[in-house]
Amino acid sequence: MHIPDAFIPIWQGAIYWIIALVFVALALRWARNEMSEEKLPLVAVLAAGIFALQSFNLPVSMGTSGHLVGGALAAIILGSPFAAIFILTLVLIVQAILFGDGGITVLGANIINMGVIGGFVGFYTFRGLMGVTKSMPVSVFFAAWLACLIPALACAVEMYVAGTFPLIEGLVAMGIYHAIIGIIEGFVTVAVIYLITTARPDLVDTGVKAPAGA
Amino acid sequence: MIEELFQIERDAYKDSPVHRLDARVKIVIAFAAIIALVAVPYSPMIYTVGAVFFLFFALLWCFTGLSPVIYARRALAIIPLWGVIIFFQIFLKNKYYTTYDVIMSLPFGINIYAQSVEFAFILLVKFVVCISFIILLSTTTKMPDMLEGGARMGLPAEFALALGMMIRYLFVFGYMFRKMNETLKTKCFDAFDRKLSYRYRLRQLGFTMGTMFIRSYEQGERVYTSMLCRGYGRESYLFVERKPIKRPEWAFLSLSLAFIIAIPIIVWLGQFSIF
Repeated sequence: MHIPDAFIPIWQGAIYWIIALVFVALALRWARNEMSEEKLPLVAVLAAGIFALQSFNLPVSMGTSGHLVGGALAAIILGSPFAAIFILTLVLIVQAILFGDGGITVLGANIINMGVIGGFVGFYTFRGLMGVTKSMPVSVFFAAWLACLIPALACAVEMYVAGTFPLIEGLVAMGIYHAIIGIIEGFVTVAVIYLITTARPDLVDTGVKAPAGA
Repeated sequence: MIEELFQIERDAYKDSPVHRLDARVKIVIAFAAIIALVAVPYSPMIYTVGAVFFLFFALLWCFTGLSPVIYARRALAIIPLWGVIIFFQIFLKNKYYTTYDVIMSLPFGINIYAQSVEFAFILLVKFVVCISFIILLSTTTKMPDMLEGGARMGLPAEFALALGMMIRYLFVFGYMFRKMNETLKTKCFDAFDRKLSYRYRLRQLGFTMGTMFIRSYEQGERVYTSMLCRGYGRESYLFVERKPIKRPEWAFLSLSLAFIIAIPIIVWLGQFSIF
């Protein structure tokens, strides 16, 4: 899902950069107002933790593997989609500049996909489903699944607009692959949040209560 | 990726004329080369521009004193995934060509088009050369230097501070990741072992990752508390010492930028091709 340089023309990359910068500015404002500026170090260290979490290989099928994106996880735990934008922006910058995982001219598009879309879809799906089902595992699972699938579809649309991949084939390929990866992301996110709400319920800022008997 | 982190840092701490260059010079040159390459239209002229840029990269790499194997290893870690997508281009039509000539027909109505093969090569050249400049930048620049370079070039204070802290703790979590992996191995746990139920494997991985999340959060809390003890507050900012770029560095930067801007223009205006 990390689009590299060359797959999106420079002018489209510039548009994505501008849109992403608006959301990054909003995330910075959220960090100042909602978290208080002093808590920035905490989020920064957490970003390093999310980066490490992404290094765990998750078995998919036939020997293939995937890894956690973590947008929904950050948004649900910290109680805001802007937390996901802030954290994933830091992670994506490091991945692009140090590892070449995702491009420089398309960094804006990658921030929009994984940070903005992933964060908002993950957070509001979780909130909406929690209101309806009252079930933390179900809500977290679908939030994480959609936060993996929708950004992948957005990525396919961006590449179609760029003219580097056809729309239907892109949507089908990216959709199927990330729908499967999303199931793994969903299960693992449920396990992670279950553990956190059990071990450190004070960390969770979303109304999720520790499981009974924990 | 996290295993690569340690190797990158080891390479960045070596000494060479390229390593000693100011981080700002390297950042500007790498970004300028990438932007110039991406800005070149999807046309065969990229073969010439890409080849000249790659020679420029290769020349700089020679001065780093690093083995080409290091470059090859890092490039091979990045290229395969998107290489597959580039490969599939040969079967697809896109908006950059109006006519398509079939050069090979395969079963199930799949065709390979001459124009699509050309487009795949164009993408491959752009992609590989862009990646090369990122590899050059990251293997010759220490992370703190890169951050200071960014801060001197106007990176917002909050971001510079947050990125600085993140980079510092990447290694802490890198070691933690290694330890956790070793612990899982010690317990003979293999996430890819089909004898274990899938649900069990995912739960174990989820709990391991949850533990790491909690430890990173607690580390963040400790860092925050210790920073408060040292007077950190709303008015705090990352102090970055002023460091003027030296004259030889200015000269190198100016020449490199002139080269990076001139090559695509010359190739485009003169329809010049070395192929």
